[in-house]
Amino acid sequence: MILASIFESGVSIQFYMILASILFGIGVLGVMLRRNAIILLMCIELMLNAVNLLLVAFSTYFGTGDAQVFVFFIMVVAAAEATVGLSIIVLLFRNNRSVDIGLFNKLKG
Amino acid sequence: MVALIVLFLSGLISLFLAFAKKPWMVLSTAIAGLVAGGISLFTEYHYGYQLVGYEGLKFDQFAVFYGLIGILFTLLIILSGYSSFKQNLNHTGDYIALLLFSLTGALCMLAFTDMFMFFLGLEILSIPIYVMAGSKKEDNRSTEAALKYFLTGSFATGILLFGIAWIYGGTGSFRLDEIQTFIESNANHQPMVYLGLLFLLAAFLFKVGAAPFHFWSPDVYDGSPSIVTGYMAAVVKLGAFGAFMKIFGMTFGGLHDFWAPAMMGLAMLTMFVGNLSALRQNRFKRLLAYSSITHVGYALLTLIVQSDESAFNLWAYLFSYGFSTIALITVALIVNDSEDRIESFRGLIRRNPFTGFVAILALLSLAGVPPLMGFFGKYLVFAEAISSQPLLVVIAIINSGIGIYYYLRVVILMLQKQDANAPQTPRHSVPALQFVVLIVCAIALMFGGNMLIF
Repeated sequence: MILASIFESGVSIQFYMILASILFGIGVLGVMLRRNAIILLMCIELMLNAVNLLLVAFSTYFGTGDAQVFVFFIMVVAAAEATVGLSIIVLLFRNNRSVDIGLFNKLKG
Repeated sequence: MVALIVLFLSGLISLFLAFAKKPWMVLSTAIAGLVAGGISLFTEYHYGYQLVGYEGLKFDQFAVFYGLIGILFTLLIILSGYSSFKQNLNHTGDYIALLLFSLTGALCMLAFTDMFMFFLGLEILSIPIYVMAGSKKEDNRSTEAALKYFLTGSFATGILLFGIAWIYGGTGSFRLDEIQTFIESNANHQPMVYLGLLFLLAAFLFKVGAAPFHFWSPDVYDGSPSIVTGYMAAVVKLGAFGAFMKIFGMTFGGLHDFWAPAMMGLAMLTMFVGNLSALRQNRFKRLLAYSSITHVGYALLTLIVQSDESAFNLWAYLFSYGFSTIALITVALIVNDSEDRIESFRGLIRRNPFTGFVAILALLSLAGVPPLMGFFGKYLVFAEAISSQPLLVVIAIINSGIGIYYYLRVVILMLQKQDANAPQTPRHSVPALQFVVLIVCAIALMFGGNMLIF
């Protein structure tokens, strides 16, 4: 019953904005704090998905469809990016036998 | 629009021609594609025809002039990298095709009229370069550079998209002209627009490599194959700055009072960080990376000072900077020291007089010595800024002074004799195509500056 009433009245846009900001913040913190390259990639995906959520919420709020088209573009590009990123990580693993970015110390100065 | 299709197709064809294992076929396809792309870009603008029904890209004067030097730089880079591309017969086509695809993205970033095309252009520009940066598979440093570039690049993309989303929330549109009218007509802006603007600014500073978001660029420039470093410094920077000018110089010009102070502080920081770190570098490409950070600081002046001349001055600056970088990268490819030490340039002018001469021209042009092209680029930027931002120009001139020190250090090294005891380095052989690139760069560096002024 409570759920139904929320869906009928609609969740206000502020909640989506807060949720998207929290997700984005988790992604940013993850990129800055974690040391595992695959987790970094996942955190970047999380950032992109926070953006998707925000765009879809705004799109519904304004009643226009263009942001939803944008979301599809972002998904496609995120997939392409993940492909390249994962292949770079595989290359790294082949050379180092590890995906810990703490091992990156050959370039310095 | 036709130019984009031509460039993309020539990239695709060179990808398939690689099966024939004849690198000259790939090279001639690429050259033909670039020349045809340049011509179609120019005629499209000159005769004003457009592909029906699509308004996401508009090739106006801005896009065409920036795009033409992007095509020219890519042509020079492909010519100068050809001898290293063809060593690996299986991948010659891949390298050249990736460069062409990336150029297509750069053109999108110069011609967009809405945020869709801007975002797509940025990704089409970046993704091939992530791959190219890691193309020396057996070299750990190259892989490390690729991963660093990929992680920082896609992190910046995330921040950029977050900014775009907030701006969409504030203005209700992705189109640049609608955003511009919204900002100019509503005096009382929504906080969402300001928030989005900050994220966009951070993402752009990431992409052009300005302090305090510059930390990735020395590592990436150092680790990537030299030719990719040249492409990043010349063409990627051109695309990023073109979009920066379009969005901050034009669309958000109405909010100049909000973002200009932040950018002024960061421009000063960028110049000092780049210069002071460059003083103690022993690797040549690292030196180039820090010098490129400094040059980003100077180029930011054109964005801070808003006038009718800004777009042209930025163009002139990137033009002169790109020629110097391409010349230096070509010289680095010829000297071809695997350790990439500056020391390997010792006595270059005695071994290879012409190569050494062009290298010295390029270094002096980066330092801003008249009458070379770099001087005129700097002159245009500083002269425009002096009336409204005198303090900033004084700081920029002090920084040019510091810069002369480390450029001249390399020049002096080139003029010195080699030690009599040390093993003598043999004369380097210069492939014909790289010789052509050096001649073009020398002519442009010596005489191009006068064209910029008149």
